Amino acid sequence: MSARRAIYNARIIDPATGTDDKGGVLIENGVIIDVGPGVTKATAADVKIDAKGKALAPGLIDLRVKTGEPGAENKETLQTASDAAAAGGVTTFVVMPDTDPVIDSVALVDFIKRRADGVAKVKVHPAAGLTLGLDGAKMSEIGLIREAGAAFFTNGDKPVEDAGVLRRAMSYAASFNALVASRPDTPALSKNTVMNAGAFAARLGLRGTPPEAEWIALERDLMLAETTGVRLLVDCISTARSLAAIERARRAGVKVSCSVASYSLFFNELDVGDYLTYCKVQPPFRIESDRMALIDGLKRGVIDAVVSAHDPQPTEDKRLPIADAAFGAVGLETLLPALLSIAIREEIPLATALKPVTSGPADLLGLPQGRLAPGAPADLVLFDPAAPWACDRDDLSSRSKNSPFDGRKLEGRVLRTWVNGATVFERG
Amino acid sequence: MADYAFPHRHLLGIEGLNRLDIETLLELGDRYVDLNRQRVKHADTLAGRTLVNLFFENSTRTQGSFEIAGRRLGADVVTMPIATSSVKKGETLIDTAMTLNAMRPDLLVIRHGSSGAVKLLSRKVDCAVINAGDGTHEHPTQALLDALTIRRRIGDIGGLRIAICGDILHSRVARSNVACLNILGAQVRLIAPRTLTPPGAADWGAEVFTDMRKGLQGCDVVMMLRLQQERMDGAYLPSAREFFHFYGLDADKLRHAKPEALVMHPGPMNRGVEIESSIADHKTRSLITEQVEMGVAIRMAVLETLAKNAPEPGATKQ
Repeated sequence: MSARRAIYNARIIDPATGTDDKGGVLIENGVIIDVGPGVTKATAADVKIDAKGKALAPGLIDLRVKTGEPGAENKETLQTASDAAAAGGVTTFVVMPDTDPVIDSVALVDFIKRRADGVAKVKVHPAAGLTLGLDGAKMSEIGLIREAGAAFFTNGDKPVEDAGVLRRAMSYAASFNALVASRPDTPALSKNTVMNAGAFAARLGLRGTPPEAEWIALERDLMLAETTGVRLLVDCISTARSLAAIERARRAGVKVSCSVASYSLFFNELDVGDYLTYCKVQPPFRIESDRMALIDGLKRGVIDAVVSAHDPQPTEDKRLPIADAAFGAVGLETLLPALLSIAIREEIPLATALKPVTSGPADLLGLPQGRLAPGAPADLVLFDPAAPWACDRDDLSSRSKNSPFDGRKLEGRVLRTWVNGATVFERG
Repeated sequence: MADYAFPHRHLLGIEGLNRLDIETLLELGDRYVDLNRQRVKHADTLAGRTLVNLFFENSTRTQGSFEIAGRRLGADVVTMPIATSSVKKGETLIDTAMTLNAMRPDLLVIRHGSSGAVKLLSRKVDCAVINAGDGTHEHPTQALLDALTIRRRIGDIGGLRIAICGDILHSRVARSNVACLNILGAQVRLIAPRTLTPPGAADWGAEVFTDMRKGLQGCDVVMMLRLQQERMDGAYLPSAREFFHFYGLDADKLRHAKPEALVMHPGPMNRGVEIESSIADHKTRSLITEQVEMGVAIRMAVLETLAKNAPEPGATKQ
């Protein structure tokens, strides 16, 4: 029997129940056995940790992370990504299948799981390719791969363009109640673009992705989800209209959930500023009214997941003219601070702001973590919700440093992270 | 029932038949099973009548079954070799029908790859037409032979729980069987992944399942369907091995049905894809070879019944 640990004198934040109260958490064998104001300095425990009034929440669950493993380990490995995750208070993340080779078979899902078990400090769940090689033509072995432990099925950043293929894949996935994630994009409209389409892009002389690229694909996906009955996660919406469409579909009974990249809540298109390649991401930073609508969605609790959309790119792929630079931004270490900064600036209760990074994604994947409840794994993050700091990319744990938050002021810092009751990060 | 006058000129599908029609054919089929088990298997009911087999799709067992059925009843049986016929030379379907009609056959057995094609032909000829399978629509003699097989082994079909599993979407056998078993009072279940479940199948009078183990609970009979190889290329199904894992009939899945549940398959089988060999070859539980035997008997019953119904030549329009 492992030591009984008590974390006391904390501000307990449990988004699953909406709790924000003084108290503590009692841990045994890596599992939470008690939580609340009853856990104090006086509680019987082998190890007692004084949280000094700081916030204690479930460790974050991030549904969208890319590493370079396998195939491009120079960008990031499962190990370095898990280091960044631990430093960011992220205790569970889903890795996307668009690697080399693509994660589209039972054997490769198994490879990622075993590899992560060996090297990762945090919990890693592979997502699997919806189609073989993400070619958008032939569905993968959805049933067998699901049994092998894939979190969900997605074509990553390559949308399935053939509606017939997508319809059958969704229909087939529905046979197994598998979750299908789709990032809505219309390549005919987004090909060779750099940022959001509009006056600012025009002034910079850059090709822009119009929001229709997202809307057209989204409407198609929602229709197919409705007729096939599949559980659909709309991955990384970036506009007000997309959120409205999802809410409308949900009211009509479609089994749809949605995620938003943390950067879409924090930045607008003007942040691309002076051709900043670290701000070249997909979907792009949109206009301010889109950003505000997504924040409103966060307040209203209609965004199921906020994701880091962690996409490490080495300097050589970013230090280029913006049109030639790679897409993507690292985000594991800034996910929590970005959300906390928004919560403070927009006066959103922390239990509301953190739901889409804790119990929201946990419920989508059917995971026991993401909540402070007896019986749940003791995956926890202790943070100072108001501590101001400036992000410096050189301080990031990721192997790649391409953060749009570089040089930005943020509020909220991770102090300590636990996975199954064991400390995986502690700020020195 | 022996003096019930079968009211149909053609057998185009199970749809349109009532319980009495079906039971009349089954009773007669039953009697022909006995005849077929004699050393001398001849009846001369159809002596002097002409049966033409017209198979636009390749078939071994159904075509052979109709040929044997016709010959045992004493008919003159002609099988038209379509592959080398004028159809290949561009003749339209209707012209082929008119040409054949002019040869004055009494019975025309047709298989065609397009749903509705047999019905179309039946409107253009004077003789009785038997649908031996049209596209993904109907295969009525298969449903009748399946019913005869179950009836002879178990008895009354009413109240039995029967599962039909596999490629329902593309199966004419499934459509005819659902209709036939429903009319006979069985409780029908369809088991398939959603890509192979036809839209609206829940309204066919059958319960639809995607989980085979759940679908097989309490079943008396499990009917497997043939899975076409071309369905396994990633469009409808990811792979043959995944299909077998979730929808192939093996000992483990069969355990979820009733302890002595019987297994059927219309053939030809893909062993290791939709059915495990040990199940297909099971001495007491597999009815697969009996189905073939019943096929000849039920086709004799159909041929005889429709031949009797044919109008006298004088009444035929020229």
